[in-house]
Amino acid sequence: MRSADRITAVLLLVFSAAFAAGALKYYRYWAHDGPGPAFLPFWLGVVMAVLAAMMLFRRIDRSALDWLPPPGEARNRVLVVLGVTAAFIALLKVLGMVVGTALFLVVLVRYLGRHAWWLTFTIALAAAAINWLVFVHWLRLPMPQGMFWTF
Amino acid sequence: MMAVAGVLVGMLIGALPGVGPPSGVAMLLPLTFGMEPTSGIIMLAAMYAGTMYGGTITSVLINTPGESASVVTCLDGYQMALQGRAGPALGIAALGSFIAGTIGVVLLMLVSPALAKWALSFGPPETFALMLLGLTTVTMLAGDDPLKGYISMVLGLMLAMVGFDIISGDARYGFGIPEMMDGVDFLPVAIGLFGLGEVLAGAEEKTQPAKTTLRLRDVWPSLADWSKSKWAIARGTAIGFAVGVLPGAGPTVASFFSYTVEKKVSKTPEAFGKGAIEGVASPESANNAAATAAMVPMLTLGIPGSATTAIMLGGLMMWGLRPGPLLFEKNPEFVWGLIASQYIANVLLLFASTLLIPVFVRALRIPYSILMPLIILFCVTGAYSLKNNVWDVGQMLVFGVVGYFMKKLGYSPAALVLALVLGPLAERALRQSLIISDAGIGIFFMRPISGVLMALALLAIAVPVARAFLNRGRSTN
Repeated sequence: MRSADRITAVLLLVFSAAFAAGALKYYRYWAHDGPGPAFLPFWLGVVMAVLAAMMLFRRIDRSALDWLPPPGEARNRVLVVLGVTAAFIALLKVLGMVVGTALFLVVLVRYLGRHAWWLTFTIALAAAAINWLVFVHWLRLPMPQGMFWTF
Repeated sequence: MMAVAGVLVGMLIGALPGVGPPSGVAMLLPLTFGMEPTSGIIMLAAMYAGTMYGGTITSVLINTPGESASVVTCLDGYQMALQGRAGPALGIAALGSFIAGTIGVVLLMLVSPALAKWALSFGPPETFALMLLGLTTVTMLAGDDPLKGYISMVLGLMLAMVGFDIISGDARYGFGIPEMMDGVDFLPVAIGLFGLGEVLAGAEEKTQPAKTTLRLRDVWPSLADWSKSKWAIARGTAIGFAVGVLPGAGPTVASFFSYTVEKKVSKTPEAFGKGAIEGVASPESANNAAATAAMVPMLTLGIPGSATTAIMLGGLMMWGLRPGPLLFEKNPEFVWGLIASQYIANVLLLFASTLLIPVFVRALRIPYSILMPLIILFCVTGAYSLKNNVWDVGQMLVFGVVGYFMKKLGYSPAALVLALVLGPLAERALRQSLIISDAGIGIFFMRPISGVLMALALLAIAVPVARAFLNRGRSTN
């Protein structure tokens, strides 16, 4: 985990500096009677910077393996799962929960498992129906509706 | 009714590979939104118990612990499964959990009110010191690398700073986005880190579902098993409760500790690790007793002892309850309702686990390619139903990615969630203390209770640092 840790440490260092500086710039460090809104954020930034510096400069454990991004096929699977989920979320307001769910499941189940189409569709429709039944019908929680239909 | 549903759903979710108690409770919490607070809390307690047991099922059958608390169970449980004794392993775990849980609830009833009364005398400095202690001990025990644990914790505190400042009313780190003004809600973060993050990490591997079958009559342990395990269960319960009450220690430590003790007192220590039934009975009783005991600091002091109780705490706060000493005075019906439902949940768990284990085992055979999309669907629905707002779902997605990297790089999502939940409370206590003291930090060390707590908290920081230095000395020699 050597270079991955170093990169993380540098990123955290930059982030904590910005966090602490931002606190002092935009909020008051000290109010008339005691610490103000910038007090804790500033010190958290300082502590994080110290921790990140410790990680950056600590002795490298050479026996530990460096973390590498997973190889091609595995990486693609992670990215596709992430991408399809992101698209599902982005389209929630357009497609609505029920239709969105069914589409999402069809795409992802088919991609991951290469199951037969009938199985894929059965799972997608059943899950969309159960989801609607539990959350909308039984618990009465409002779920996003589609732009073109209202279920 | 709610309790039955909670236990069943909890066990089912907990029995899914890759879904442990924290992710289970985080994903199921939204189910309770549409309910009355009392039904909700019963369901929540039942789900907590159910997911804890569900994690055991995966430990024994496919050697995959759902949470760190069932890691030890794998040692002997999986060996037993390989020898064709998965049934007795699960049966004794259910029995041990039931006994430990029931005794745990009784102790919880006895200890909590006294502790709450004592904690009523706490002022802001004591509260802050206690929270610091809770944060540091959880972080210290969270993972292999304490430095990464502390980084996760501070990151959680930083996220807690986002939104309106409770004292001055300033909107901090909002970047002018209205949704950011409310702050970062813990639920989308928890669902993202634990739920989606786990799924993404799981997506890397092309795992095949486990091939396991189990019949009902195989579940009951024999009399010989029972007589072997009864003292293991008793010791596990005692150790579990004692460890679980400590803020920050929790079920994981309890299970490891009791396993070690059991091995020490055993006449046949060489059988451990090769399928000894005591090796299942003792840690399972301990982690259940500790899971119940962890409710003591959570309810009376507002300090959760594990990731799962941290999520429970967040759940209680969403109902406008503030766990802490005042909860016992202000909402007694709630506290006792929760305790009573823990009790009922334990009884139900015993029935459900012995009668329905074969059914839950089938859940393990669902291919991951079908399970994974369904878990994501659950995460999305759960994040949305918090405030009926797509922004939260987006937040969940972002933290899913963060959770993936945290898992891969060895950070601690549990420490982050705990810090996020405790952050606003800790900040208020800190600033109130400094206002009282006219800005000297001496106030934390001059008052006896807070002084001791602060000393312990500093010790929790110092120990890993010292250990790191010692290791360094050893490796250079």
